Amino acid sequence: MIGQVIIIWFKAVTCMIQGKIDWREAFRQCYLIGNQSFIIVSLTALFVGFAMSLQISRELVAFGGDTAIGGVVSLALVREMGPITAGVMLAGRVGSAIAAELTTMMITEQIDALKVMRVDPIEFLVVPRYIAGLFMMPVLSVYAMTVGLVASIWIAQLAANLPPATFLDSVKQTILDRDFGVHFTKAIINATLVIMFSCAVGLNTRGGAEDVGLATTRAIVWIMTTIFIFNYVVTSLTYAPR
Amino acid sequence: MAVSEQNNQTMIEIDRVQKAFGSHRVLKGISFKVKAGERLGLIGPSGCGKSTLLKMITNLLMPDSGTVTVHSEDVGLVFQGSALLNSLTVRENLALALRRRKLSKKDEESIIQEKLSFVGLSDFINAYPTQLSGGQQKRTSFARAIVNDPKIILYDEPTTGLDPVMSTIIEDYMIKLGEESNAAAIVVTHQYSTWTRTAERILLMHDGNAVWEGTPEEALKSDNPYMRQFAHGYREGPMLEGMI
Repeated sequence: MIGQVIIIWFKAVTCMIQGKIDWREAFRQCYLIGNQSFIIVSLTALFVGFAMSLQISRELVAFGGDTAIGGVVSLALVREMGPITAGVMLAGRVGSAIAAELTTMMITEQIDALKVMRVDPIEFLVVPRYIAGLFMMPVLSVYAMTVGLVASIWIAQLAANLPPATFLDSVKQTILDRDFGVHFTKAIINATLVIMFSCAVGLNTRGGAEDVGLATTRAIVWIMTTIFIFNYVVTSLTYAPR
Repeated sequence: MAVSEQNNQTMIEIDRVQKAFGSHRVLKGISFKVKAGERLGLIGPSGCGKSTLLKMITNLLMPDSGTVTVHSEDVGLVFQGSALLNSLTVRENLALALRRRKLSKKDEESIIQEKLSFVGLSDFINAYPTQLSGGQQKRTSFARAIVNDPKIILYDEPTTGLDPVMSTIIEDYMIKLGEESNAAAIVVTHQYSTWTRTAERILLMHDGNAVWEGTPEEALKSDNPYMRQFAHGYREGPMLEGMI
């Protein structure tokens, strides 16, 4: 599977470098990804923000560290929870849809039809989805981070009686430019994992209706696992003590 | 697969081709040729390797041994299940096949209209495949396969699953296309009416080999035990030995 992903990624990047991009289809995919993921990302980010703020407020208030709540919550949201929440939700909502769609296209010989018409399936199917993923994942990631932050501010005010201005002051003092760089790096990596694994599974599955379900499950398991692994790799490369 | 643009008569050459999927040998050294303007009927029971051969001719599969030589890059394939792209309209499905020619919008539209008119689907140009009946999908697949005026056209079970009237309509298109173009054609089919009406020459396949060859008229009168059993649908005969 990893070999197939690398081959598809390499071919897709080659197409992109050569300018073989169907922008109309890429914009359509952007709309589909955004439309499919917007509500679910909003909801999960909201409740992640609630839970984190509640836990952290409770602990820090006990030690008299109220003013650090904003900093600690935002660090977690910007560095870890924002990209992971968006990545996992996109995997479940978009990755599964792509894997199911491409597997169905394989089984119903639509991919064979493309090859007979000398239309490259990578250029026609993978590249527009990858472009859309690369654009939409950072957008959704930042959106998830923002929703989580707003939810955290609200809960911090309710649970720890912390004014929003104090919370935001703490955020400003804690978050560095580098954290946003890491945030975007993780978002780009997550987009690559979601799109490439779902496409690789879809384009390499044969069989019948049962295989569509199995392929979708396989894609989700690969995407989720690799998102967490790569998240740790980026974190350790960036923040590990030297 | 060797592809040459020679303008000789033979368009497809299959030479001692073998293919196995795991331990199952589907093709066991089959050879035949198809000339320009000829319609070859490739008939035989399910699993005898007919569709596998079409996939080799279209470069979707490679033979384990032997050679498949196709003397043109312009190949159209009518798929058994139509294989239309469900996310595209009828127009867009045909336009996709034309894409590599980089035509102007006007020329592209003109060709699409012409081919849809040929199969009687001009009114469905903006429909999605899921809005079409099985027969309409098959006719759209037919139009897509001929949109580039291919020199070779392959039909994979073109009438399977269709009612007798729609089967006759599709067969008529195949005959009409054969008369109007000089394309070499291979018709893979089980349907009696399809191979008797559309093929000029028949190749009966059994167990990965060609076991009989001749015209449809000769096939109906043949004493060959395989051909007799297949042509008349007899239960008794060598074709199903060991299978039921």
